[in-house]
Amino acid sequence: MKNSENEYRLEMTGISKSFGVVSVLKDVNLKVKPGEIHALLGENGAGKSTLIKILSGVHQKDSGKVVLNGEEINPKNTHDGQVLGISVVYQELSLVNDLSVAENIYLHKLGASKFWMNWKGITQDAQELIDSLGFKIDASAKVRNLSIVQKQVVEIAKALSEDTKVLVLDEPTTVFDPNDIKKLFNNLFKLKEKGVSIIYISHHLDEIFKIADSITVLRDGVDTGTMAAKDTDKDGVIRLMIGRELKDLYPVRDIKIGDVPVFEVKNLTAKDTLVHDVSFSVRPGEVLGIAGLGGSGRTETAKLIFGADKKKSGTLILNGKEIKTKTPVCAVGHQIGFVSEDRKEEGVFLPLSIRRNISVTSFKPISSRLGFLNVDKEYVNVLDLIEKLSIKTPSSEVNVNNLSGGNQQKVALAKWLSIDSKVIFIDEPTRGVDVGAKIEIYNLINEVAAKGVGVVVISSDMPEIMGIADRILVMHKGTFYGELQKEQFSEENILRYSIGEPLKQLN
Amino acid sequence: MTSTIKQQLSSPGGILKFLVKYNTIFIFVLLLIFSALISDVFFTSANLSNLLKQVSGIGIISIGMLIVILTGGIDLSVGSMVALLAVTFAILVNMVILPVAIILTIIIGFGLGSVSGYLVAYQKMAPFVATLALMTIARGLGFIYSKGSPITFKTPGGEFMSNFANNATLGIPNIAIVFFIIVIMAMVMLRYNVFGRLIIAIGSNEEASRLSGIKVNKYKFLVYAISGALAATAAIIVASRTNLGSPNMGMAWELDAIAAVVIGGASLNGGRGTAINTLMGVLILGLIGNILNLLNVPSYPQQVVKGAIIIFAVLLQRFENK
Repeated sequence: MKNSENEYRLEMTGISKSFGVVSVLKDVNLKVKPGEIHALLGENGAGKSTLIKILSGVHQKDSGKVVLNGEEINPKNTHDGQVLGISVVYQELSLVNDLSVAENIYLHKLGASKFWMNWKGITQDAQELIDSLGFKIDASAKVRNLSIVQKQVVEIAKALSEDTKVLVLDEPTTVFDPNDIKKLFNNLFKLKEKGVSIIYISHHLDEIFKIADSITVLRDGVDTGTMAAKDTDKDGVIRLMIGRELKDLYPVRDIKIGDVPVFEVKNLTAKDTLVHDVSFSVRPGEVLGIAGLGGSGRTETAKLIFGADKKKSGTLILNGKEIKTKTPVCAVGHQIGFVSEDRKEEGVFLPLSIRRNISVTSFKPISSRLGFLNVDKEYVNVLDLIEKLSIKTPSSEVNVNNLSGGNQQKVALAKWLSIDSKVIFIDEPTRGVDVGAKIEIYNLINEVAAKGVGVVVISSDMPEIMGIADRILVMHKGTFYGELQKEQFSEENILRYSIGEPLKQLN
Repeated sequence: MTSTIKQQLSSPGGILKFLVKYNTIFIFVLLLIFSALISDVFFTSANLSNLLKQVSGIGIISIGMLIVILTGGIDLSVGSMVALLAVTFAILVNMVILPVAIILTIIIGFGLGSVSGYLVAYQKMAPFVATLALMTIARGLGFIYSKGSPITFKTPGGEFMSNFANNATLGIPNIAIVFFIIVIMAMVMLRYNVFGRLIIAIGSNEEASRLSGIKVNKYKFLVYAISGALAATAAIIVASRTNLGSPNMGMAWELDAIAAVVIGGASLNGGRGTAINTLMGVLILGLIGNILNLLNVPSYPQQVVKGAIIIFAVLLQRFENK
């Protein structure tokens, strides 16, 4: 018995937790050894975050035991957790925009520190920490001025600023391009060698199998057991996560693609961003993928077309007619849809109900001339979409912030389906979304395309974009560097174009 | 710092960028030049010290307003607090010895601010609502304790305060010195003191601060309490200047304080704003009033000009953010 106790760095046994009448965790066990990368998997709402929050001290468990280094611990708040050496990189970026990088990294120490700031000390320490991670960020810069990728790096540096014994990473790579992911993994391997226990939460199963030693899957608040990563495979894990067989993550596409483009872009150049000389067309029924590294201008291109950024020159042609989209209002008027990558900030209205979220783009068809809503029509429209998208909710009046990430994404999509969009741009459709909801979203994208809509999907997830797109355009430094047809799809080809290299010639 | 300023000035379009970045100082200097050109009494020491005396009271509560706004809150009660605390000070100065009267008044201000702080931080009341309630309560109490009429200082202690408030040291009015000391303390606090940095952190991202183990409620509570203590300081100063405490003092001062903070570039969402810029905001507002008085512009058009300046200043900040 004694040996097994010493074998684990962290043992969470019989953890149960309810919020009101809703039981979130039931008798969950999680054991992590020193120097182990332990993947914690499960659909959104399976209880992963709650388990982590109990570990870090955000929530208190109802029953069960948490043992760290052989001693039972009971962190009452996050500070207790940090002092014990438990650091969490949360999925939602939790940085303070108006402070410097260094202050953010040592924020938890500031709360407990002396009277005066030690500017020089923390800036120097922070710079060393970031340099050691292999990223280039100025520690004295204000966080507000960083890119989202840099912010994520700061977030990770913050977690490592303590003498970390248990590091929890909750979806750390959603904003990273493959290069950054490699750097991150190298850092994780280094930490692992130092004996840090790492709990890694991700929906990217490819990543999991690249780095994890063992895997624990949660389903509906119950753990389905722990296994060694080498003893299982993707299909096995997915089966455990969703509790049913899964033939293929990406649905078979068998849609007739029209010959005449529904939407064409010619020589589009932005006024304020790096996007320049962008030309492409999308045909009805086609799913066009846009790949590229973070910062290559993918999102900016979509925003430019949608009228959210200012254009300098270029033409947009919808159904053979030239159109102007000076503002998002114009774009919506021309039935162009845009689902933002930043769902919480730009995609949905969190504190509003599903009904209000869906109706917001389509007041015209459901209101009278004087602007009064026809509530009956609104309900018919909204309930229809909820059913069609299988949004899991007890009613249309539930506020969107109570839904899981996948269902929120469906609401964001529903908004644009309710105006019968001709072209829809979907930026990172499955960021932070679990496998089950992913499949539903892919099906949805197909359904939308089947109606003759031109769908443009921007994604950093290479298997995803290869799985759902008919054709992939790869961006590099603000313009399209190359185009890949279905038979040319491969991670290598996408990556080569992304970094501005020609494809390898086949002999 | 100096090298970056030089770089900015030498880069193409640099002067414009520089002016936009330090727009409050720019507006202030512009107004100074304008005032000097337009009126020959402006640059007399009598007028300038008068100007400083006028802005000191509002200036002090503006610093309290700034730290509350930095956390993402607002304190509407400060104007009424000045009235209640001025009355309180006048009563106390006639009852007990001067140092006790001063200390007690500041403690009472701190206590009244604590009530707002408690409601906002621990009862999760919206700052606007909690301090709105405190605003009417404080004004009402001021009238109750003074029985509706001003209370004059009758003791040597009161006389001493009155002398202090109306005299100058090295040509600078004493009450302006008090104001400047408070500005400098706030500057140092917001830059080099942990408490100041944590206030900014909370206003910038409250949830992140909480997750970092910062006692968010404690700090939110404290900023209102400090704002109350600063309102007490302002009350002592304005009461001493006129040798009396009146329940009609500080009328709508909270709005001027908010205006000063906003002209100083602070964001009402919290996290952004500095003491030096708030000082500029206070001086800009004071200058406008002063110069319009010198030009014999009646008080109603003055209000219109004030509003226009607020709009102008905030529009200019829009450029800076781009």
